[in-house]
Amino acid sequence: MENIVCNGCSLLCDDVSAEMSGKSVNSLGLCRLGHAHLETAVTHKVGSYEKELEKAADILVNADSLLLYGWTHATDESIKEGLALASSLGGHFASTVDFGAMQVMSHNIHSNGLDIDLEYVRNNGEFIIYWGSDPSESLHRHPSRFAVLPRGEKIPEGIESRTIGVIDVRQTETMKMANHRLILPPGSDAELLDIIISELEGKSLIKDKVLGIPGSELVGFVRGLQKSDCTVIFYGSGMINSGNQEANLSGIAKLLEVLRSSGKEAYSLPMFVQSNTMGVVKTLSKEKTRINSLQRIISGDYDTTLIVGDDVLANLPGPAAKALAKTKIVYIGPPGGLTDKRATASVHTLDTISAGTGTMTRVDMREIKFKKWKASKDVGTTTDIILKLHELVRKKKA
Amino acid sequence: MAFATKLALGDISPDDCPPLLESGFEKNLEKIRNMVAPMLSAEATGIKLDESKCTGCNNCVVVCPVDVAAEPPTSEGKAAMSKDTVFRVENGISKIINLEKCRRFPPDKLNCRVCEQYCCTDAIEIW
Repeated sequence: MENIVCNGCSLLCDDVSAEMSGKSVNSLGLCRLGHAHLETAVTHKVGSYEKELEKAADILVNADSLLLYGWTHATDESIKEGLALASSLGGHFASTVDFGAMQVMSHNIHSNGLDIDLEYVRNNGEFIIYWGSDPSESLHRHPSRFAVLPRGEKIPEGIESRTIGVIDVRQTETMKMANHRLILPPGSDAELLDIIISELEGKSLIKDKVLGIPGSELVGFVRGLQKSDCTVIFYGSGMINSGNQEANLSGIAKLLEVLRSSGKEAYSLPMFVQSNTMGVVKTLSKEKTRINSLQRIISGDYDTTLIVGDDVLANLPGPAAKALAKTKIVYIGPPGGLTDKRATASVHTLDTISAGTGTMTRVDMREIKFKKWKASKDVGTTTDIILKLHELVRKKKA
Repeated sequence: MAFATKLALGDISPDDCPPLLESGFEKNLEKIRNMVAPMLSAEATGIKLDESKCTGCNNCVVVCPVDVAAEPPTSEGKAAMSKDTVFRVENGISKIINLEKCRRFPPDKLNCRVCEQYCCTDAIEIW
C-alpha cells in the first residue's frame, strides 16, 4: 500500500493509501465516494493525443468569442496555465463557481478570507453546527476527520467534548449524531437566525413553537451557543442555493458577531463539494475583471468553449447547458461524460488521483500536494496538455 | 424469562425449547425462528454490518475505543492503516477485521454501542 491523496471531494484526504492488484485497485481509508472515483480513474487510458491537440489549437485560434470554462477538478497549476492561455487567446476565463462559491467568498462574511482551517476545528471546535449541509451525503469523512468525532487539543474526549447541531429543511442522516436537530420550513433560515440572535441578545421572542420548532428545543440550542467557547457553523447548499443567499449569509455574519461580542470564538466555513472549488476561487479572486459567465453563456455570447476537467454539460442548469452545447467545444480532461462526448476535439488526460502530481486547495483553503504512486505516469497530466496546447497556439498565432 | 434472555443473547436457539417442538406449536416455533433469524447472521458480538448501507465515512473507526488504543492516530480522525483495529475501511466500505477485540466479544460482553450510535446510515446494528 502506498500513500495517496484523494480528489473525490473537496476534503482531499491525504491519510489514505492504495495499491494496484492486477487491473483492479485496493484502498484503505477512502470513503465509498473516493474509492469509486479511484476505481474509475485507474481505468482511464491516455493514448497519443498529438492529432487532437493540433485540432484543438486550430479551433481555439480561429474562435471569434472564446470561453475557457470548468476548472473545479483541475489542479492549481492547471488553472494558472489556463489563465495564461486565456490571456494569449483573448478569451474569457470563468468557472461554474461564478454563480455559487464565488459569490459566497465575496460576501463580507469572508472579507478577510477564512479565519480558521479544519485542523483548528478539530482542535478547538466545541459547538459544531451543520446548517443546510449534510456531510453524510457528500463529504463523508468531514465528521470523522475534523468536526464531530476526533479528539483535539482542547477537545480531549472527542465527541463527548462537543455539542452537535444540525439545521435543515428535512430529516438528514447527519442528524443521527446531533444533540440538537432543528427542522425548519424551506426559505426561513434568515428568520430563524434573527430569532436566535434576539434570544442571545436577551430580547426573548421564543414562545411555544417557532417556525414549527418546539420552543424548548430552540431555547436548548441557544443555551448551547451561550455555553460554547468555540462555535463553528458549516453552511452548505441549503443556505447558499435557497434563493436567499445574501440574507442567510448576513444572518450568519451577525450571529458570529453577537457570539464574539460576548467573548466567545465563533466562525463559519463553507461546505463546497467539488474537489478544487477553492483553487478556482483563489485564482479568480485575484482577477481584476470578472464576468457573469452564466448570463453570457445563456445569451449565446460565445462561439467556442474550452472546457477543462468538468462535465459541465451534465451539471449546468438546462438553459446554460443547451447554449453551451451549441458552441464548438474543446474538452481537456479524463475520458467519459456528456461534455467529452459532445466535444469537437477531446484531449484525454489522467485524473489527478492517478497522476499524483500538482496541488489542489482544500475546502478550508489549505493547499494539498498530490503524491506519486505506482499508478502514476509522467505523461498526460492536464497541466502538461495545457502547456503543450499553449505552445501550439503561440506557434499558430505567430 | 431465563429462556428468553438466553435466546436474546444467542446462547440457545428456539429448537432448544422442548415444548415448542411438540405438535400444535408449529406456528409458534416458526414465528420465533423468524424472529431470531437476523440474530443468527449477527456476529458473536451481536454487531451486524450491512455493507450495502456503508458509506465508508470512518465514523466507526474513529469512535471505537479499541481502535483508538490499537492505532492512536485514529483518535485524531486518521484512517486506520494497521491490522490491529476492530474496524478498518477497505475499498470504500467498513470491515470488522478483529471481531475478537470488540468490547462486546465474549466473555466480557460489555454493553458498548458507540459504533452503532454514530453510524449515520444505520449500516451498523447491534442485536
